Amino acid sequence: MEASTKSQKFCANLDSLGPIREFLTDSAKLAGLDKSKTYKLCLAVDEIATNIINYGYLRSGVENGIIDITIQIADYQLIAKLEDTATPFNPFDRKMPNDEELSRPLEERQIGGLGIMLAKENVDEFNYKYQNGKNHNIFIMNL
Amino acid sequence: MSTFSVKTDISNNAAIITLEGNLDSSTAPQFHEAVQKVIPLNPQELVLDVEKLDFMASAGLRVIIFAKQKLGSSVKLILVKPQYQLLETLKMTGLLFSVTLVDHYPE
Repeated sequence: MEASTKSQKFCANLDSLGPIREFLTDSAKLAGLDKSKTYKLCLAVDEIATNIINYGYLRSGVENGIIDITIQIADYQLIAKLEDTATPFNPFDRKMPNDEELSRPLEERQIGGLGIMLAKENVDEFNYKYQNGKNHNIFIMNL
Repeated sequence: MSTFSVKTDISNNAAIITLEGNLDSSTAPQFHEAVQKVIPLNPQELVLDVEKLDFMASAGLRVIIFAKQKLGSSVKLILVKPQYQLLETLKMTGLLFSVTLVDHYPE
C-alpha cells in the first residue's frame, strides 16, 4: 500500500465531534479498516477530543482553539494524530479505574474516569507527548 | 452536528427512553434531561431502547450511571437490543454487570 497523509483542522467545540468521526470514518474506509476497528478508533479519538474541548482549552482560557488531526496510512497501520495548543494534559497521568472498581454496582461507582480508559483500550497503540507547545495524542490501528 | 434523538414514554411502572443516532458529549445533555424528567415519577423500571443508537461515548455511560444512582438499586435498568459495539463498551467498563439485556420490551 502506498503511504498517504491528510489532515484537517477542527474548531475545538462539541459540534465538531460529529465531523471528526466522519473524517476518521472516511479515512478508515480508504485504509480498509473494518467496521469494528473503525468504531473503536472513533470512540478513542472522541474521548480525547472531548477532553481537549471541555477541559484543555477551557482551562487555558482559549476560546478559538483548534484540534488539528492528521491521518497517515502506511506500513499496514493507520495513525491518527491530534494536536492542540491547550494546557498540557497527559492522559497517562490520570488514574484508571481498576477491575474491582469496574465490577462495582453502578450505585457505588464514581461517575468519571471511563473516557480515558476507553481511549487507551480501543486502539492498538496510544501515545502522548508534549512538544513545541502542543499536546500530541497519537492513536495507532493495525490494518 | 451529531444526529441524535431521544423520546420518552411512560407505561405502567416503566419509563422507556428511546435513543437514536450518536450519543456523544454534544448530545448527552438531551439524554440527561430526559432522565431527570423521569426520576420524580419513581419508575420501577428504566428501559433504554438503544436498538438504533449507533454510537455511545463515555458521556452517555455517565448519564446511565447517574440514572442508576438517582433511581436506586431496586429499580431495574433494562437495555433493549444494544448494537455489538455498544455491548463491547458496556463490557469494557463493567456496566454490563448492572443492566438487563432484552431483545424486546415488553418481552
